[in-house]
Amino acid sequence: MVLVALQILLAAVVLLPFFWMLSVSLKPPEEPFAIPARLWPESPTLENYKSAFRPEFRTYFVNSLVVSGATVLITVSLALLAAYCFSRTKLLVISALLSLVVLAQMFPHAAIIIPIYKMMRAADLLNTHASLIIAYVSVTLPVAVWMLHGFLAKLPISLEEAASVDGAGPVRIFWQIVLPLTRPGVIATAVYVLIVTWQEFLFALSFTSTREMRTLPVGLNDFIGQYGIRYGELMASSMMVSVPVIAVFFLLQRYFVAGLTAGAVKG
Amino acid sequence: MTRHDRWLLWLCLAPTVLLLSVLMYYPMIGTIIESFYQTSFIDPEPTFAGWALYEQVLSSRDFPEIVRNSLIWTVGVVILQNMLGLAVALLLNVGMRGQGVLRALVMLPWVLPGVVAAILWRFMYDPQLGLINSLLLHLGLVENNAAWLADSGTAMAAVIVAAVWKGFPFSTLIFLAALQGVDREQLEAATIDGAGPFRRLVDVILPAIRDVMLVNVVLTTILTFNYFDMIWVLTRGGPQNATHIFPTQIFETGFGQFRFGEAATYGVFSILVLAVLVAVYVVLQRASANRRRTS
Repeated sequence: MVLVALQILLAAVVLLPFFWMLSVSLKPPEEPFAIPARLWPESPTLENYKSAFRPEFRTYFVNSLVVSGATVLITVSLALLAAYCFSRTKLLVISALLSLVVLAQMFPHAAIIIPIYKMMRAADLLNTHASLIIAYVSVTLPVAVWMLHGFLAKLPISLEEAASVDGAGPVRIFWQIVLPLTRPGVIATAVYVLIVTWQEFLFALSFTSTREMRTLPVGLNDFIGQYGIRYGELMASSMMVSVPVIAVFFLLQRYFVAGLTAGAVKG
Repeated sequence: MTRHDRWLLWLCLAPTVLLLSVLMYYPMIGTIIESFYQTSFIDPEPTFAGWALYEQVLSSRDFPEIVRNSLIWTVGVVILQNMLGLAVALLLNVGMRGQGVLRALVMLPWVLPGVVAAILWRFMYDPQLGLINSLLLHLGLVENNAAWLADSGTAMAAVIVAAVWKGFPFSTLIFLAALQGVDREQLEAATIDGAGPFRRLVDVILPAIRDVMLVNVVLTTILTFNYFDMIWVLTRGGPQNATHIFPTQIFETGFGQFRFGEAATYGVFSILVLAVLVAVYVVLQRASANRRRTS
């Protein structure tokens, strides 16, 4: 009984803010949000969504899609190659290198952003998608390599040895044997990279200076001032920013949870 | 390994190693170099300043406040997040029907983009329109509309609560995985010996997940110390510096006031703190790996 009550309490703590966000986003502007007013809108409407889905929002959305999409593709490809090499070599240099790669996930982004900003400025890349994609690939690679390494290290090496005896070269072994077997790991890593880049705020805030280049988190932060206390539209925008990544997460979460915890608990 | 294979090996590693060297490792050194050069909005050309910026930062009124805030913020979030994370993991591990759904739902705050979570909590804390005040007023716990984020006495607690809500699912996820490794027979034996739930927790479960707990605490300490989004959107470090931590101070000094040198000096201090934490992490990680190897 106590357990059931606790679980209900947990669900309430987690879900109440979400429920409220959804409820406010569906309320017409005249209807009050707060208790003792009703929690659920009396006459739900999509008005807020229509007005929040303005041209700037669409631009930010496309920018986020381009930057996150490119980052997921590049990071996962590079990490897969690197993790494969790391997991199939016993050289001391290589395992030391792996530790250095994984260590970089802990670096404070705020502390290293100034030199990166200056490099981007020198390369004339500020306020471009490229500057964000390059930065995002760098910050997501350490965890991506670590997650994929966890998967690859668990694959039985005998399959690859058998293929090698049959005369398959390393490239063919990678494509035809390793890649299909690592699919769950690749999906888990891709979901992780997407969650991280979709919400990345500090680099996007520092590197983009015009509305044409803003991504969703920065754009949303700008909305706070613009909307004033028009919370209905702010919550509608927030919902539209969150739904894609929440949907991806729930569709693929069984891969993701296995992927993240495998690496984490193994160490 | 043939020569050809070795060549292929380095080719595979090259992009990752190169990118991380240039964009993660070099900037650590770059920040240290930067901290010896002064720049300002009026005079953007860097001039060598020696230790001047360090003296300036160390003697400023902001510095002790930022150290104190970073400490309170990090310790507060880490302790609450891991305690809540563990409690929820234990709750979700009892094996009741429908727990799969709840396990997935619990992850929601973590999946939610940081800026969205921050905006949602900003709204929750709104003195007139927010859910927090209207709930508290309704329950008769407060008498007037408290401005949680605008009052320097409550702002830090408010941002910590928001960050814990956002971050605890991550701890839960790790602890849930660790709980799968707890020996069932040992648990049953303890139950037969008459150990209640509390005894089982203290005598069997906690020792079994000790390593994961320690590593998780250090990891969340590092991530929390570096976390920028929540505080920036909720308070921008205000009111009167009450919630300024290293990342927000660095961003404001660097990109708000274009005093890159001074921002880098704050950066160097945060790198030093981090170096200590990483050393602790590596030692714990090694020790736990050794224990696993010998057991």
